[in-house]
Amino acid sequence: MSGTYVLRAVLSQPSGAIGVTLVVGHVMLAVLSQLVLPHDPIAQSAELILQAPSLSHPFGTDRLGRDILSRAMLGGREAMMIATLATLVAMIWGTAVGLFLALIGGRTDTYGMRIVDALSSIPGILIVMIFVAALGVGATALIPILGCSYGLSVVYIARAAALDFVARDFVLAAQARGEARATILIREILPNVRDTLAVQGAMQVSWLLLGIASLSFLGLGVAPPTPDWGLMIADGRGVMPTAPWVVLWPMAMLSSLIVGVNLAADAFAKALGVDRQMGVRAA
Amino acid sequence: MGLSRHVLGLAAALAVGFVSPASAEKVFRQANDLSFGGAESLDPLSSNRFIEVVALIYSRLMREGENGEASPELATSWTANADATEWTLTLQPGVKFHDGSDFDAADVAYSLSRIEDPALESPVASVLGIIDRVEVVDPMTVKIILEAPHAGLPLLLLDYRVRMIPEGSGPTINENPVGTGPFKVEAVDAEGTTTLVANEGYWEGRPKLDKIQFTAIPDAEARNQAMLAGQLDYNLMTAEQAPLFADNPAFQVQSFPGGQWVGAVFRANAEPFTDPRVRRALRIAVDRNAMLTLLEGPDGGAVGCDTPVKLSDPNRANLECPQDIEGAKALLAEAGYPDGIDIELFTSDVSPGMVRFAEVYQAQVAPAGIRVNVNLAPSDGYWDDVWLKEPAFVTAWDGRPADQFLNEIFRTGAGNNESFYSDPAFDALLDKARSTVDVEAARALYVQAQQMQFDDGGTSIPFLKNGRRVLSGKVTGILPKPEEFIRWHMVDLTE
Repeated sequence: MSGTYVLRAVLSQPSGAIGVTLVVGHVMLAVLSQLVLPHDPIAQSAELILQAPSLSHPFGTDRLGRDILSRAMLGGREAMMIATLATLVAMIWGTAVGLFLALIGGRTDTYGMRIVDALSSIPGILIVMIFVAALGVGATALIPILGCSYGLSVVYIARAAALDFVARDFVLAAQARGEARATILIREILPNVRDTLAVQGAMQVSWLLLGIASLSFLGLGVAPPTPDWGLMIADGRGVMPTAPWVVLWPMAMLSSLIVGVNLAADAFAKALGVDRQMGVRAA
Repeated sequence: MGLSRHVLGLAAALAVGFVSPASAEKVFRQANDLSFGGAESLDPLSSNRFIEVVALIYSRLMREGENGEASPELATSWTANADATEWTLTLQPGVKFHDGSDFDAADVAYSLSRIEDPALESPVASVLGIIDRVEVVDPMTVKIILEAPHAGLPLLLLDYRVRMIPEGSGPTINENPVGTGPFKVEAVDAEGTTTLVANEGYWEGRPKLDKIQFTAIPDAEARNQAMLAGQLDYNLMTAEQAPLFADNPAFQVQSFPGGQWVGAVFRANAEPFTDPRVRRALRIAVDRNAMLTLLEGPDGGAVGCDTPVKLSDPNRANLECPQDIEGAKALLAEAGYPDGIDIELFTSDVSPGMVRFAEVYQAQVAPAGIRVNVNLAPSDGYWDDVWLKEPAFVTAWDGRPADQFLNEIFRTGAGNNESFYSDPAFDALLDKARSTVDVEAARALYVQAQQMQFDDGGTSIPFLKNGRRVLSGKVTGILPKPEEFIRWHMVDLTE
């Protein structure tokens, strides 16, 4: 299937069109917002503390008088960057391990999967918090930590998808030809499970976005003064009853991005004919 | 008629139903902030003391009078000899401990001698280590003999940790907390619910409340939400939370000059803060007025030049210290940082405003080339794992008088010397101030000590904030004054 065909199939579904629009909009905002920011996102002002939305500050101001519109526009940049790179890490190691175990089979597969089961039984956010506490915050620490932790679910998906193919004639033929395992994995199996993994990758991005926002909310994600939706929500919750706009806008931005990614991934799965149920994380 | 009997019966039942809550127990609900993550101790001298509870179950010899002066509590009167080296205290007769035993001079001698017990490592030792020994004159009289003269001893005895416990009870006081205070411990769970019950035999009269219940809520915003939801009768709050409770008859809002402060500590024994020029640069780059207005509002407190001494203390130094970006740059260049300096400042949600303090500090000092990386640490265990451990961290304190504060947090080797500041000249100045009987001369010395801290200390204290608390509408007997002024046996809940 060509890329254009898939994109057309995604956009022909209303949910897909909405999802892609939301995601593209967010990405453009993250990339271009620096050029069109109405105010300095980290400028504090005692005169502007907790101002309700107005013409000069359409989203209002926060507890230190900073412009919420400017902060909300920039607040997803770190999270999107970290989520994308961490997804790559997760997909690469998860796929490699999953496909390898499927092809080898036998005891290695059994023991390997039990280890993955054991690690998966620990709540992901807990693992991440322990490592963040030890290694510190910031993108350079978060990308490997999140990538390793979220890759566990990829192992299941990749292995399950590959099991459909390991006993097929073309794989057996390759083995009979004496080809190396790595070659079989990359040339024979990977092309067949690519679509499933692509959908899984899209879902990973949305889980990671939520995970990063949770970490920021807990103070373990992005460090101030970088505007970040999770931090903005954490800071504003104390004034929610009197100044709801402080949490409202970052919440709206975060949820629209996550909904967008989910809708797009769903439409993507339908277009590729992938069973989306396989993409549901064994949580 | 049968029906009317039923109606009467129903009415009676309803009446009982309505009346009984009024005659039910009066339970006053507070939150404890779990400062020590569950390691709270009921030993008043412990540095992990369960702050909220200790003040209710143990009493002091003296307490704050109308204007913060020492006024009688378990000691009814006191006199000093001519050079203020020997103090004789007369005790309140008829006071009993929670276990029924009598309070007398031997308990005072024991409680005061514990302060210097090296095994306890109590931070109070740096303040009251000047006590040489305590002699029991008769059951109602004790004599405190000092190593050196101190004209202000009664003010030191106001320390909120110097509380009376039964003679010999120290080793077991945490498990068996027995004091003379208005409330007794029923159940303690610092991480869950702690219940205190009225001390029926309290010497100033039975408390009007039946119980005080503490629920552990470590997060400041969560405490605020619990207050809003009507689950608490008492809570401290910040300036920006005030509108939530104002004009609502279900709450009473109080504001008062307190002396609480949030500050940044740069440890003098950790690089790059070992250089006093760096420490000074980090403090003079702050715009104190702007910070006060941002964090507390224009009427939210009073700015100062890195002195922790509370406003009401006449020994507080009133210096001028406008923001000095150029001066900070010059000092950093002199110290070997011509291109500015990178520092990591730890903070946490553990006390209100600590995170925003770090954010404002970060923005204000940036023009001086001070690049602050704010590290948000979890609130659980912040005081155990971050405070005193990391090279730079945000701290929070309540207001205290000059002698106590200066000796406790700046004197060489003092238990709470969080900036690890050490200067023999500073210590000597404090010694001299203590032994100076003339009030004006002593004041000049305390002011000079604060000037020294401003010159090369490691603690940035831009302002002292006003205290604010919110009470449920039912609470009576709490005046708009800091905690130490509350007479808990007078506090009541009325419908």
